[in-house]
Amino acid sequence: MKVLVAMSGGVDSSVAAGLLKEAGHDVVGATLKLWGGASDSGCCSVADVDDARRVAQTLGIDHHVFNYTEEFERHVVEPFVAGYVAGGSPNPCIECNRHIKFDLLFERATRLGFDAVATGHHAQVVRRGAEHLLVRGADDQKDQSYVLGYLGAAQLAMLLLPIGHLNKADVRREAERLGLRTWDKPDSQDVCFIEASKGREVFLRQRATLTAATIVDATSGEVLGRSDAAELMTVGQRRGVLPGRDGERRYVSRVDLAAGRVEVGRLEEILVSSFALDATSLNFAREPLGDGAVVLAQCSAHGRAQRATLRHDGRWWLELDAPTRPVAAGQSVVLYRVDDPTVVEGAAIVSRT
Amino acid sequence: MTQYYFDHAASAPRRDEVTDAMAPWQRGVVGNPSGSHRAARDARRAVEEARDEVAAFVGAKPGGVIFTGGGTESCHLAIAGVTNRHRRTHETSEIVISRVEHHAVTDAAEMMARDYDSVTVRYVDVDADGVVDVDALSELLSERSALVSVMAVNNETGVRQPLDAVNSVAKALIPGGVPTHTDAVAAAPWLSLPVITAATDLISICAHKLGGPVNSGALIVRNEVPLDAVMPGGGQERGRRGGTVDVAAVVGLAVALRVTERELAEVTDRVIDYQHKLTAALSFLPGCSITAPAAARVPGTVHVTFAGLASDELLFLLDQAGVCASAAASCSSGAATQSHVLAAMGVPADRARGSLRLSMGAETTEADVDALITILSSVVHRLRDEVDATSAGRLGP
Repeated sequence: MKVLVAMSGGVDSSVAAGLLKEAGHDVVGATLKLWGGASDSGCCSVADVDDARRVAQTLGIDHHVFNYTEEFERHVVEPFVAGYVAGGSPNPCIECNRHIKFDLLFERATRLGFDAVATGHHAQVVRRGAEHLLVRGADDQKDQSYVLGYLGAAQLAMLLLPIGHLNKADVRREAERLGLRTWDKPDSQDVCFIEASKGREVFLRQRATLTAATIVDATSGEVLGRSDAAELMTVGQRRGVLPGRDGERRYVSRVDLAAGRVEVGRLEEILVSSFALDATSLNFAREPLGDGAVVLAQCSAHGRAQRATLRHDGRWWLELDAPTRPVAAGQSVVLYRVDDPTVVEGAAIVSRT
Repeated sequence: MTQYYFDHAASAPRRDEVTDAMAPWQRGVVGNPSGSHRAARDARRAVEEARDEVAAFVGAKPGGVIFTGGGTESCHLAIAGVTNRHRRTHETSEIVISRVEHHAVTDAAEMMARDYDSVTVRYVDVDADGVVDVDALSELLSERSALVSVMAVNNETGVRQPLDAVNSVAKALIPGGVPTHTDAVAAAPWLSLPVITAATDLISICAHKLGGPVNSGALIVRNEVPLDAVMPGGGQERGRRGGTVDVAAVVGLAVALRVTERELAEVTDRVIDYQHKLTAALSFLPGCSITAPAAARVPGTVHVTFAGLASDELLFLLDQAGVCASAAASCSSGAATQSHVLAAMGVPADRARGSLRLSMGAETTEADVDALITILSSVVHRLRDEVDATSAGRLGP
């Protein structure tokens, strides 16, 4: 099979390429140049591209660099900034997967004559009858099925995830066995276009004016502090919020940019029992679910999936079995099957209630 | 798989004559040309013979030839070396360059502006063919001008610049004249440098575009333009470029120039025909535009853009079919990137994204050109069909 492997320069995609080569496939590596500005791996992420290229050389496969900087700016970076300015908390990795890796790259792979596209994500595509199911990766700690939650049937049918059945330690051992220089490369952490030493605030300030706000206890009216970047305060978060006079921890319950006001409360005061979903973002891996469908909902990359019921009466929302911390608008919720909790059923973006 | 090499403008195939001439200087005792014994004298003689040959190729005196580590270093030495002299005696120094220069020139100029408050870079606009606007240049010139740098031939499009006119305004407008530099790296395989650079003060060339070794070039200084070393140390090259001269590299440069000059008429006649044939064939491909078709261009380069297609995909499929070509503009990661040259010419972004440079040289044969036409035509039709299918699919629900 002719396979295009998306190689980020990390150990996971390096091993993915190596295993496919060993399995006898006709493998070509491609590194997507997404961000042209400064990053933790140098301008244009040159260090990562160098790693990917060297791994491809070691494996004896061809390697190409595809330039998607304009598309990345338009589909990922601009919406990321706009999302914060609008008071949401966007997830750029999910947008990149939706619009670049599993949209533009798949189209390109088809045009260039490839039978399949492979990535180094920790997740698995399992074929059951005529269906292709997206299943959690074997390594609980590294599972990335959440960021792939929007994949549809056509994409899953063309996707290979060669390391999804391995845990991270095994991946590193495989990399060492294959003699790949990325074997001990640290896992990437935060957003690729934001320098770790500077953080989101510095990045956002270059592109938008951020809002100063007063942090107020919603129940007592007590002023607990100030933030000079209220956009970065996310509902449910505790970081950056001082305890109340009673010494108890406070959590963000509401961010009102227009009023310059961030409301906080005790954990039990801010818990919610439902999230509204953006109908246009709702996506199902197989046949669509309807009102009353019971699912397991996961609201962050490594969060715990919780039982919930999907509701639909013109608008869509999720009713949770147990109250939980609120989820910011712009974050994705990925739905897994109740009867088969490793299988992804669909995904949606949380909207404002 | 048969390889069809259409990337001479990136690096030309090494000439056997060059390899053979370099060989004795790449094994056993090779004296340091600055030394005083027999081996050093042998090395020094080879270096000075090479210097004579380089001087003659450009039409300058041997004393003006500074051997460097390639075209980028030559351009850098010209820009930084001349500007550094100027800024010590002037409150303000302006480096005047065209908008279509190679990054070797723009980055050196921008580096000077970044490092010194008194230095600024002034850009001369170009027309739709990428030819500098000489009137705009004359308006930018003043007592503050430290150096004018306009390339002889553009490395992406192959378009020639009017160096005579550039030199006339640079010399006539300001009392004493403004020193001029030209990046002649892309011109050297095709044009007679003594003729086109007769009035230019500094000329940068390199060996590997001529079938010589990489990391070998020269800055040729005419008319005693004062110049500071960028890399002093050891006093070599009359104090203008420190470091032991690489005998093999300069011998390789000289022989590459010799071969180029000897074959110039024959190669030019042949490659012009290929250029016409290729241009005519490509103009029939859907969405294809020939870049600057009416401008004076060197024979070896055909630059085209395909509306709606991506260079990345064209190059991938060409590579799979054995064709080595280039998008002409790439960033340090190796990705094809939007060209500042095409942007300066006003080429729309949609076209620029589908750019392709096909560059030829002495080794190119008519059979190569015929094969390229067949392969490129099938690649373009295939991508066109796929793109149409994709966009048709997208119109659905």
